[in-house]
Amino acid sequence: MPVPIFPIPMWEQSLTLFCVIMAGVILVCAGALAYFRRVRMERPAVGTFNARDVVILLVLIGVLPWVYGWLPVPVVTCVLVVTFASALYIGYRPMLGPVGIWLAIGLLFGFNIWSSNHVMGTIAGWQLWYAEQSITVLLSAIAVCNLYVQGGMKLRYVAWLSFGLACYDIVFASYYPLTGRLLARYITHPLIPVVGMRFGEVDYAVGLGDLLAYSLFFLAAYKAYGKGAATIAAGVIVVMGGFATAFIPFLFNFTNANLDTLIPAQSLFGPAAFVTYLWMSRHYGRERTMAEYLASQDGVAGASLAEQARAPEPASVRPDGVREVAS
Amino acid sequence: MFETGVRQFRLALGMAQGRRLDPRNVERLVEDVLATVAEFGEPGSDAAELVDGPMASPADRLEITNNSLRRTALRLAAQSPFYARHFSSAQVDPAKLDVAGLRAIPVTVKADLIERPADFRCTDVPPCLATRTTGTTGRPAEVWLSRYEVELWSALGALGSVLRGELRPGDVMQVNLSSRSALSMHLAVSGCRLAGAGCRPLGIVSAETSLDNLAEGGATILLTVPSYLGKLVTAARNAGMGAGDFRLRRIVVGGEVLSTSLAQAAARTFGVALVDDPYSMTEIVPVTGRPCSQGHIHHDLNLGLTELIDLDTGEPAAPGALGTLVITPYFPYRDCTPVFRYDTRDVARRLPDAPLRCELPGIPATSQILGKADHLLRIPGGEIVTSRQLIEAIEALPAEPWPARYRAAASDDRIRLTLPVSAIAGHDEAEARRHFAAAGLDTDLDIVGDDQAASLRHTRGDMLETTFASQPALVGV
Repeated sequence: MPVPIFPIPMWEQSLTLFCVIMAGVILVCAGALAYFRRVRMERPAVGTFNARDVVILLVLIGVLPWVYGWLPVPVVTCVLVVTFASALYIGYRPMLGPVGIWLAIGLLFGFNIWSSNHVMGTIAGWQLWYAEQSITVLLSAIAVCNLYVQGGMKLRYVAWLSFGLACYDIVFASYYPLTGRLLARYITHPLIPVVGMRFGEVDYAVGLGDLLAYSLFFLAAYKAYGKGAATIAAGVIVVMGGFATAFIPFLFNFTNANLDTLIPAQSLFGPAAFVTYLWMSRHYGRERTMAEYLASQDGVAGASLAEQARAPEPASVRPDGVREVAS
Repeated sequence: MFETGVRQFRLALGMAQGRRLDPRNVERLVEDVLATVAEFGEPGSDAAELVDGPMASPADRLEITNNSLRRTALRLAAQSPFYARHFSSAQVDPAKLDVAGLRAIPVTVKADLIERPADFRCTDVPPCLATRTTGTTGRPAEVWLSRYEVELWSALGALGSVLRGELRPGDVMQVNLSSRSALSMHLAVSGCRLAGAGCRPLGIVSAETSLDNLAEGGATILLTVPSYLGKLVTAARNAGMGAGDFRLRRIVVGGEVLSTSLAQAAARTFGVALVDDPYSMTEIVPVTGRPCSQGHIHHDLNLGLTELIDLDTGEPAAPGALGTLVITPYFPYRDCTPVFRYDTRDVARRLPDAPLRCELPGIPATSQILGKADHLLRIPGGEIVTSRQLIEAIEALPAEPWPARYRAAASDDRIRLTLPVSAIAGHDEAEARRHFAAAGLDTDLDIVGDDQAASLRHTRGDMLETTFASQPALVGV
């Protein structure tokens, strides 16, 4: 295993990574919560998120990286365009209208594709690219998170999903480095599903899949049991998804052959989320349904019925791991 | 959610392609609806489209109707000996059939079904369950069903019921229909099973027994016929029972004319908002009609074609005119003993051609059912009096004689109406005649003893089933 010599101390990198993760976590969780309290997505006539859907998601998550790795890069970009456009359209059409949402998607994607090819010669250019990239990914994560939770995804299913992702991460980020290969192959291409920033000559990033897992856990806990449970969930996310993920390189060496440090964040967060769910279900009892949640919100933060979004589709993007790149 | 989408797609694809549907797939969709209701309190806003079909556009509707007719006629020509001859003698090519050419095919009448039941049966499916009409209008007709039909109708019925909130987990349905109504009983029991509701198939037993079960058994839905409902209302009032004694949330009746006065009395006595009176008939299942708040009957577009045919000319009834409902259930919803252009002899009035303003404007409608064509009174001078007019007037008498027992005949330009004496209790004949005149009926009354009441008009509520508990005991001491 190569041992890189970093131009800056590891504690400083870990602290920076922690800040980047927390920025992403805070933005996506706060955004998802605000959206959840304010906007009611239109749902299909029949259907609610169930255990089989978790299995289907895990199968998709397991299969898609192989497909992405096999497809030519331009085709992957097209798939990502369709996926992100679907998520953004479903999530924000109620607020922007049909014309506004396509205009916004066009601007976001257009700038992203342009900046991927033209601004990366300088650190400022990288930072601009990361900032724009992060906006797209954060907005998508907020939309997909609400799609699932408003679609009836219970905390129980989020916990099982996180547990499954933990296994996935252990296998594909540690033993079989599929995630690392994908990242190395696709970094700098448009719409790479990470939220990140470059400081100095180091890239710090957190994957869309990780942010989605954190926001789902946070929002599902809020829906199921209220503010207290959401606060506990936030604590677990900060400790296991943020702190432990950022500082675990002090204990283990995750640097790969490309000198990327790819930390399998879900392998730390997943078990913690699962145990927290078990404790919550024992402590709080049965989860609230969406109907019960909405009834509890009557007169508090009733969502406007006019704010309706389209029926959910599965997100097909979930690249994992945190990338801490020494360039 | 993902697999529900796949199930819905499979159902929609099967319906669009006219292939036999998978009843198990529909049953699983019922489970999905129950899960959706458990999570969200109600199905999504597109639920009506799932039940009624996306056929608001007349052009789409016509195309689907033509395809369904051709598909059904082709199968019948190949598999049903009766319809092979029927289409051949009418010189109709089933492959080219459409709505416009439908009139070339003579209607099928009940006598055909009674005299040659075996000829109707399709040769490619084994019969599984026989059901009979009650025979209140003469000899009963027998309809054989395949296992596929038995399973599919239960599932489709349950799906519609749970989507509309008509049936919920925890409901208890009490069924006071004739126990020999094999199909109705089966659909009620299996529909409740699929919806997670309880079902108590009691049959037509004594009104007191039914009331005890309604009250103490905690029934939330009552399924019966109007004549028996009248008996239940009378028995409840005699026993001093009222809305507070029952947990009912729905009363559903069918098979007979339900009068406004009886519906209102039943709603008051049992504490429900209204009495549902959908349209259905053994021979034309699974095609049904759904009432709306404006008193229309909206006829199912997905499962069959409903025509309203002029009583005299056989042509489509003109706006405002009376007609008989002629119904064609489509394949793949009708399988074993299909009928094509079946003349139900149920009379309704065609609505004016103006757009409907009720809650179901996209579904074609007629007036509510006004009675049987063979029971119409044709008064010299051209006026036609329907059974509904008579039953509405009689059941609105102050004596509340439910169910209405009467015999009516045209006499010169008036109606000669025979009533039991209890129907006008507390009033003299002159007052009764004024009551009928106010309802637009010029009547001459013949009053007979109450012992003749049941023979004046047979109702389904008369088919009383005995139990050991209800039989009179001979006790020797």
